[in-house]
Amino acid sequence: MKLVVTAEERDLVASLRDLFTTHCPPELVRSLRAPGADPFPEKLWASLVAAEVLALPFAEDVGGAGGTLDDLAAAYAEAGRALCPTIVLSTLHLGLAVDALGTDEQRGRVLPALCRGELRGAVALASPYDAADVRPALRAERMADGTVSVSGRLDHVLDADLAHRVLATAALRTYGEPDRLVGLLIDPRADGVALTALPTSDGDRLQQVDLDLVSVPADDVLAGPGGAGLSLERVRRAALLVRALQCVDMVGGAGAVLDRTVAHTRGREQFGRPIASFQAAQHLVADIHIAVQGARLAARSAVFWHGRGRPALRETAIAVLHAATAYRRATLDGHQLHGGMGYVVETDLHLWSERARLLGSLGGGPDVAGRWLEEANGRG
Amino acid sequence: MDFELDADQRAWREEVRAFLREHVTPALRAELAEHDLEKRDGELAAFRRRIGEKGWFGLNWPVEHGGLGLGPVHQHLLVSEFEYWGVPGPDLTVTSVAPMIMRHGTERNKAEFLPPIARGEMVCAVGYSEPGAGTDLASLRTRAVLEGTMEDGEWVINGAKTWNSGAQRSTHEWLCVRTDPDAPKHRGISVIIVPIDHPGVTIRPLTAWSGYRTNEAFFDDVRVPATNLVGEVDRGWRYITGALDLERGALTNAGDLRRAVDDLVALADRPRRDGQVPAHDPAVRRRLAQLDADVEVATLMGFEAASLLADGVIPSVEVSTEKIFTSELRQRIAEVALDLLGPDGLLGHRTPAAPDDGRFERLYRIAPLLRFGAGTNEVLRDVIAQRGHAMPSYGR
Repeated sequence: MKLVVTAEERDLVASLRDLFTTHCPPELVRSLRAPGADPFPEKLWASLVAAEVLALPFAEDVGGAGGTLDDLAAAYAEAGRALCPTIVLSTLHLGLAVDALGTDEQRGRVLPALCRGELRGAVALASPYDAADVRPALRAERMADGTVSVSGRLDHVLDADLAHRVLATAALRTYGEPDRLVGLLIDPRADGVALTALPTSDGDRLQQVDLDLVSVPADDVLAGPGGAGLSLERVRRAALLVRALQCVDMVGGAGAVLDRTVAHTRGREQFGRPIASFQAAQHLVADIHIAVQGARLAARSAVFWHGRGRPALRETAIAVLHAATAYRRATLDGHQLHGGMGYVVETDLHLWSERARLLGSLGGGPDVAGRWLEEANGRG
Repeated sequence: MDFELDADQRAWREEVRAFLREHVTPALRAELAEHDLEKRDGELAAFRRRIGEKGWFGLNWPVEHGGLGLGPVHQHLLVSEFEYWGVPGPDLTVTSVAPMIMRHGTERNKAEFLPPIARGEMVCAVGYSEPGAGTDLASLRTRAVLEGTMEDGEWVINGAKTWNSGAQRSTHEWLCVRTDPDAPKHRGISVIIVPIDHPGVTIRPLTAWSGYRTNEAFFDDVRVPATNLVGEVDRGWRYITGALDLERGALTNAGDLRRAVDDLVALADRPRRDGQVPAHDPAVRRRLAQLDADVEVATLMGFEAASLLADGVIPSVEVSTEKIFTSELRQRIAEVALDLLGPDGLLGHRTPAAPDDGRFERLYRIAPLLRFGAGTNEVLRDVIAQRGHAMPSYGR
């Protein structure tokens, strides 16, 4: 146990911060959500592919950069700081899930394309209200030609409109056999798929996906060893890893808000002195600091234990309880400290506030995480 | 960041646990329940001797000072275990006074004071606050005047200290005094070690709401050798703030909080006097889950501070963060306990009818101490803002 940032991680963080500062400024984030704008960040995507961010956690034999989940956490913190468009992270989530749940053939087909930036992804592995609830929302049947026909509705799927494939789970029915849990790589532009944007104030990233007898090729069915189906436990692990990484994203964002807010209070004068010099302002800042530092340790601990093969339900629950609360606190108290100056959209503070709200809720916020903790403690 | 105990750390924790399993006897528990820390020459004294025999009072000191040469992480693990078991371990003399003597003391200071501290024979009360100098510690007025030379003269000390905890059990005072009344207030301060049985030292008890005894200490023409001054004259403010950072680090260990939450979770499963089981209420369970998560975070904060100390940094901002978080968490635990127990939670400490012998009733009265003690949380919030985020100081 040694909770200090290594020199190696400091170097990684510095290069990632440079990358995001250059290629993902707030103006880009704002422009992507403007009405009528293309919501896909073409140039940023190319830079991230060139810097091997999309390849970071995957093994070299599938075109990856061979990094660890801890390296990926460093990248998520910087992505969160810079409000990196979620399609980048959704794509990584698809890669991580295929890496964990797919066959070698599927990994070897999907991951190289993803690492090269040619495949964009999204995932619907769990309830959008509760990332630990991985009962499948879709029903599927195996057809005579080996394809799978899938129907049902997925709700609140982040970036489904920008993805080339959405990885969702379904209960696969075979006559005379028990249902099996499978993952399906669904093309959102295939026949029978209807996407409906769910309007939100941050650019309509959430989609309702209706599927009516959508045909999925046999190769794109993740059915576990010997085709016997995936275990709920493995799917849950994959869903909780996503949630843990999102906590690191939240902590990065909260840290950025803290820094911006302090900078504002140091520059803004009232009563003839910087508002940073008022104890009331300093105490709000200190409370954000405390919340962010606690959340940072909790979130990194959760990813660390995922990386060492723990189911990490307990650690992920603690991370959500702290990260979602800290980000909300940082942004709302950040608004308070900015006053009217931060309330107008040209200051961009609201961009972080909306990310705090999105990531704090999607997959379950603190109340849901409280139930995970009870379950992890054997009291569920 | 490595969140996993390595083999050496696990072995160390196991050694500490084995020691506690062997030596935390029912007799020691009974004595602590009856007398707190106040019984002389009893079970606690024997327990302390055993800790001394293990060399654990100087566990993170360098070998040349009679220590074991282990690091802050080892100390942190040990203190956490002792706290979890609810028994006193290395105190402030070991964890904050001695390191300052090592870092800043004269060779003579080190030779004279470190060996008896390591043996558990020298215990210091820390003389910081005065009736007129609390949170604003640097305005302290206890005066020390040198008669003769620094080599063979004497300091003559006059003044009063308050919140002088443990003085009734201590052999010495780690006493902060003003040695230059004309210098700016942070510059004329020194630290002098004063044997507590010297003529002119008077200790008067003060009883706190928690039942805890603290003291006032009066110094009337107390004379000590000039060589009892720690380090250099008029440089004491650095030593005090360094010691206070270490004190916060040691005080904010989450071992006692983990124990409190584990006990509270178990208590919530048992029926109250009205037959209700608090844990059947989802709202209670949600609050307990929050406390559990918070204690886990406090534990990580403690490991982080210890890791930084191991790298040679005195992490002022980190220990301030940790101290605020843990002290306010302790109060939240006591509040949740009272809420879920209802009027049963009022039943007095050590009365048989009280849930868990009134442990949470007492915690409610103990918890305020560490919010204002060892640097009040409001000043520590200033520290976070000013040292951590370069926000300007403009008075308060």
